[in-house]
Amino acid sequence: MTGNSFEASTRLRDGVAVLDFVGDIDARAEGSLTGAYAEASQSRPSTILMNFERVNYMNSTGIALIVGVLARARKEGRTIAVCELSDHFREIFEITRLVDYMGVYENEASAIASAGH
Amino acid sequence: MRQADYDGSHEQAGGAMRQVEGGDAAPKGEERVLAHFSISSEPGNERLAMQQVTDAVQELALPQRTIKRLGTAVAEATMNAIEHGNQNRAELPVEIQVLASEGRLTVQIVDQGGHRPIPDVTTPDLEAKLAELDRPRGWGLFLIKNLVDEMEVGGDELHHVLRLSLHLEGAASDGQ
Repeated sequence: MTGNSFEASTRLRDGVAVLDFVGDIDARAEGSLTGAYAEASQSRPSTILMNFERVNYMNSTGIALIVGVLARARKEGRTIAVCELSDHFREIFEITRLVDYMGVYENEASAIASAGH
Repeated sequence: MRQADYDGSHEQAGGAMRQVEGGDAAPKGEERVLAHFSISSEPGNERLAMQQVTDAVQELALPQRTIKRLGTAVAEATMNAIEHGNQNRAELPVEIQVLASEGRLTVQIVDQGGHRPIPDVTTPDLEAKLAELDRPRGWGLFLIKNLVDEMEVGGDELHHVLRLSLHLEGAASDGQ
């Protein structure tokens, strides 16, 4: 079995909760990812931004985790946005139609600016 | 398909992956074998398969976008083979061949779960998943099908054989 890891940390920037993802989003990411979302929710932000800059790999289980986060956010009335998608991840988000349900931004600054308007 | 022979001298990652020595690597028609190996059915080994396949196709100088698509499709198919075909039984191999011919690249993935049929590919209902009316999972086959040009499912009572093909004409000029 290959060694891999995933870490998710949270921070607030201009009222937006930012989730910084590092590593591989697969089955082993579930605890960290959902935990980070729960932590980010505690400040009751209207927007949660997932930063994919340091994501190396995502598989179908990872997609399911993102869908789960999106479903939970929807139920709680929050907006989910994503930034720093590689071309490949952007294509996966398009294939799965996740792009129809979240804001997709080139970088964090543009996502934050959009959330402020 | 017969069980492959293994060469321990090429063992990698603590026995997780082995190069198939000679074996049934005879190409079909004009196909040339770029790689032939097997992995043990342990969760996470799909990443080894992805790496081995992307290494094997380097000589074709494919665009990065194509390599990424292929890699993700292979990882996904191998994960299915490990989980659903071989039921995470480490002793059962997933055998992978990378075949190239003029204008076509094919990756064949074989597991030992032929008695359990592979379901038809359906488009996941994202709206239902977001409304929590459907489980969030169930993206694998759909993703694979959308990342390659052709996905062919076959096999016999013992094996699943999944063939993922890319059409190479024009792939080198897609600019990515």
